[in-house]
Amino acid sequence: MPKETETRMIVIAPSSSVTPDQITRLIHTLNTEVTVKETCYGAMVEGGKEEVARVLDAVRKLDPNRIFTKVRGFPIGDARRCRAHHGSRPGFTQLEKEWECLSLIEKGVASAEKGEVTAEAPRRKRITIDELKRIVEETE
Amino acid sequence: MIKIAQLSCGTEYSGVQSEIEKAATTVGAKMVFPDVEASEIDKAVEEFGFTPTSAQLKLMIARAMAITDGRYDADAVFISSCFRCAEAALIRNELRRYVQEHSRLPVVTYSFTERTKSGQLLTRMEALVTIVERKELLARERQVGLTAGIDSGSSTTKAMIMRDNVIIGKFWHPTGEVVGSAEEALDKALAEAGVKRSELEAIGVTGYGRYTIGKKLNCQLIQEELTTNSKGAVWLADRQKGEATIIDIGGMDNKAITVRDGIPDNFTMGGICAGASGRFLELTAKRLKVDITELGALADRGDARKVPMNSYCSIFGIQDLVTSLAAGQTIEDVAAAACQSVADQVYEQQLQEIDVRQPVIQVGGTSLISGLVKAVGNVVGSKPIVPPNSQYIGSVGAALLSSGFLEGHR
Amino acid sequence: MKVFIMPPNSLILYDLVERYGHTPLSLMGAISKRVMNPEIESPPINVTPNDVKKGLKYAGIEVPSGIRGRLAIWGPLVDEAEASIIMEDAPFEFGCVGCHRTDEMVRFLVKKRKIPLLEVRYPTSEDEAKVLVSKIKAFLEGLK
Repeated sequence: MPKETETRMIVIAPSSSVTPDQITRLIHTLNTEVTVKETCYGAMVEGGKEEVARVLDAVRKLDPNRIFTKVRGFPIGDARRCRAHHGSRPGFTQLEKEWECLSLIEKGVASAEKGEVTAEAPRRKRITIDELKRIVEETE
Repeated sequence: MIKIAQLSCGTEYSGVQSEIEKAATTVGAKMVFPDVEASEIDKAVEEFGFTPTSAQLKLMIARAMAITDGRYDADAVFISSCFRCAEAALIRNELRRYVQEHSRLPVVTYSFTERTKSGQLLTRMEALVTIVERKELLARERQVGLTAGIDSGSSTTKAMIMRDNVIIGKFWHPTGEVVGSAEEALDKALAEAGVKRSELEAIGVTGYGRYTIGKKLNCQLIQEELTTNSKGAVWLADRQKGEATIIDIGGMDNKAITVRDGIPDNFTMGGICAGASGRFLELTAKRLKVDITELGALADRGDARKVPMNSYCSIFGIQDLVTSLAAGQTIEDVAAAACQSVADQVYEQQLQEIDVRQPVIQVGGTSLISGLVKAVGNVVGSKPIVPPNSQYIGSVGAALLSSGFLEGHR
Repeated sequence: MKVFIMPPNSLILYDLVERYGHTPLSLMGAISKRVMNPEIESPPINVTPNDVKKGLKYAGIEVPSGIRGRLAIWGPLVDEAEASIIMEDAPFEFGCVGCHRTDEMVRFLVKKRKIPLLEVRYPTSEDEAKVLVSKIKAFLEGLK
């Protein structure tokens, strides 16, 4: 195995039509030495850092704005983080939440690519005591 | 394999997760993390009614509900969080209550530091496993046949001989060399009972030295003191049915156990501070130049409120007592203050981790110190029951439970 | 540039930092180095009691061990960072980032470093998501 290895999670946004199976099949056709495992959210790949980067480039091309990736702390199938062994670890819940949010982020990425300028809505402020007092008096 | 559900925050980052798992594995159990969907978490928190800011605590709530709703199968529950974290301490205790109200699973809570080692957790885990695995044995209410129980404590070793639910011999003395002390106590108890060791049908052993003694004497039952003492206490107090709280202030550590029909469902053990143990009273007796057996009666006549104590510590607290003596307080008042100090600390450190259920049964060697029983009564709101032979609970429990191994007896 | 992300295990931030040409400093990266170490002392994430002691650099002994242990790993990441993106109000701070007190402390440590910092809010609508990504993109592209 190459010296510097990396494990990556590839996560498909809920709005994408790419399937985990498509990703793993694509990786198999790339003829690399990375290990790949299909998961419910996409896939995990593991191998030499540069090789993994090449694989990620190819995978992203399937749906650039809807495929996301981050590094994973534990190697694939590590018993210390295996769901079947202990039940799900807290990080799994986090991934579920972020996955839900990817549909929004995807729109953001597309918009940023186009260079759209979206005005930020002003943050809501608390009303003043005087205002509150006025409303109370009016409601009485 | 017994599944102990872990509801916790901070174990991995405190470096104690492996210690927790090691303790569980040693007693034949495994730690599991109840599966919950992200979407269930907010709902669970809302239903629970307490919204912590830290997300991990929210997850703990959702996981607890997955267990109590029967969506996740577990045999026992271990609730744990970092020592000194106020937010987690509130959740830990309220979740413990919730799990107890909504299930019949045994629960133990623990607040850890980075120094927590598996050894500290072992007795707790062993008790959880015993409660799950030996339900039938723990349901035993009568001792049958001729059996012996040995309780190898940190301060004293006790032995008890029982025949057909009657105590026929007993002996206790300070613990020296573990096996030697146990054998001597056993032989003296046998002599009182007028039976030979070879006649014994079973021996049960509990307490710190249980593994060494159990192996040496070929004991049928080697069991931690939480479940054994519970059985002994309810047998001695004749409170086998219903609820009760057992308080055992020991030489080195204290136990507070709540039971339902003689079986523990929640317990705490503490052993960090000598100021909260029988040792504190021994030191006090020494400074007062009285025998420990006289301390209780002295305390009964004194008024703890007259002696200001700034510390529970066995060094600084004793210093406070000495200063009070020098300032002219009576030894009765000082003895009472010492007893109250121990009771207060047990209340603050341990009784907060369980919900005290009446009646309170006070046991162990320190229950013979009447002033301490009175002081415990002050903090729990009613005078505890001190059954006869209350210092023998461990050995009674061991003799009673070991008789469960006798074939042909019911 | 090395960009510290907060929450430090966020998929979204990790991806965006990389997408726009920088190196994310993440918790997973730090954990990976620990768990791939052949000398595992304290599974699962190999934070040892000694690490928790190292956390004393960032917080005193009266601070719970879980906070000091987290700071022992995140603190050095903040020290190493050349820029940072902090996302507030993320609804998914579970797992490694489950302790809110630690999160507050880490935000403070980042601010004390006085490195280029972008503070954004977790989006609740499409428009907010667009603002979020465009801000992040502009920030990252502006880093030299």
